[in-house]
Amino acid sequence: MARITYITPDGKQVVVEASGGSLMTAAVQNQVDGIEGECGGVCSCATCHVHVDAAWISRVGPAGDAEAAMLELEDGVNSASRLGCQVPIRPELDGLTVRVVGR
Amino acid sequence: MKTERDPFIQKRQESGVEYMRAEGQEMPLVLRLQDVRKICKDWKTFSNDDPFMIVPHSEANVRSVRQYPIETDPPDHTDYRALVEPFFRRPNDANYQVSMQHLVDEVLAAAATPDCVDAVSDLALPLQSRSLARLLNVDDSEAKLWISWGTHVFKEGDGISKGAELSSYIREKFEAAEGSDADDFFSVLNRADFQSRKLTLEEKHGFANMAFAGGRDTLIHTISSIIAYFAAHSESLEFLREDHARIITATEEFVRYVSPLTAIVRTCPHGAKVLDAVIAPGGRVGLCWPSANRDETAFTQHDEVVLDRSLNPHVGFGFGIHRCLGAAQARLIIRSLLESLCNQIEAIKLIEAIPEVEQESSFERKVGYKRLLVSFIPRVPRALRPGLAA
Ligand code: HEM
Ligand code: FES
Repeated sequence: MARITYITPDGKQVVVEASGGSLMTAAVQNQVDGIEGECGGVCSCATCHVHVDAAWISRVGPAGDAEAAMLELEDGVNSASRLGCQVPIRPELDGLTVRVVGR
Repeated sequence: MKTERDPFIQKRQESGVEYMRAEGQEMPLVLRLQDVRKICKDWKTFSNDDPFMIVPHSEANVRSVRQYPIETDPPDHTDYRALVEPFFRRPNDANYQVSMQHLVDEVLAAAATPDCVDAVSDLALPLQSRSLARLLNVDDSEAKLWISWGTHVFKEGDGISKGAELSSYIREKFEAAEGSDADDFFSVLNRADFQSRKLTLEEKHGFANMAFAGGRDTLIHTISSIIAYFAAHSESLEFLREDHARIITATEEFVRYVSPLTAIVRTCPHGAKVLDAVIAPGGRVGLCWPSANRDETAFTQHDEVVLDRSLNPHVGFGFGIHRCLGAAQARLIIRSLLESLCNQIEAIKLIEAIPEVEQESSFERKVGYKRLLVSFIPRVPRALRPGLAA
């Protein structure tokens, strides 16, 4: 089980508890604004873009090659960017905060 | 090795560009995934503001209006797109999803008799048209006429224009909806405000034109290709049944593999250079979705259907500001169809396939089927299968 805090584009905090899936699926199941997950999590739509809180970047880890190639061309990308669907939820992410980029 | 759906492999690997004859020019087609994406992002250099020219061969002789929002650039594009976005987001609603599953179940059940049926006219076309009626929030009965238009709304297979029929239908609909406070596509666009004014009839017509034409042959070719795939791979339905998550991955994989839209075109008002291709000011360049979707540097087993491909960064629905507005609808239809096939169908027998092949100066490519005659073998309910207790 991990508690994840999403900060939506309009500044609302949404806290979600999840024990599986990804940062995208947990957000979609809890209707977090700005995360749509249109492609279902195969890294094709970028509607799950988040910025990982600075303190968590090393624990969350870097984007893979396919994800990095997508992110390279996304608006609002920075060194904390990840696609939520490519970040599996695992117990060590308990307490993580991410900012939803949205479109 | 060239395949019927990927005639671009050699050029993709050698130079990243293929040339095709279009509107009197040798137009470059960009073939690699990241090059296609980069062009999609750079709308100042690669513009959509060129009416009738969004596809390689001008549509000026088959339609009379600019298509919205696709044939526009920001900042106008942003505002035009926002006007219709609420319609295209309807498929994200849970009730809409349930109702779509019922519709697909019903259309498949009607088509799935042991007799010979045409998966194009008896399944793909009614699915496309009846689901569009839901998207546009008009009565299901409207779809009867749309079905009668066939796969292509602008041209018959022999190239004869029939765009005039669609045009007069659309204009009549906007007129009939004048003053209405209903929530259908036509009434809502009549009331819409664009940059502090009402839309002109030309603009509304251009929106409707895109809604009717944009997702028509693309969706129909994808559906018929899915049926052909299951007819050739009888074990694959069982593979999907084993893990429900595969409905999602298979949907994306069919969109990647089929890539029914060969190319969408950008115009370069100031000229551009892409790899070794030099585009003169006012010249055009094509984005070749099926080739980008088989880029071997991004996709393993790039020319095979991998139904559980979990990493699938395809651009079947485009990329960037013009990414497909109908993607949520298309995905929902395909996911619902896979769900229905898994529940209702044991196997599909191919009787006859007549492919639809696009012929260009430098390549030909299979995009789907003109006719796909099959028979569906229904799934025997578990309780009735010999040797299985109820
Ligand atoms: C499998 C089915 C489909 C495929 C493969 C597909 C593919 C595409 C692609 C590649 C683009 C990008 C065009 C560009 O970059 O200029 C696009 C845009 C668009 N599509 Fe689709 N499409 C499909 C279904 C649909 C459906 C069902 C609809 C409507 C009911 C639709 C409506 C649109 C619209 C309105 C745009 C323009 C968006 C804009 O300019 O902002 N599409 N589509
Ligand atoms: S859900 Fe589509 S890229 Fe993450």
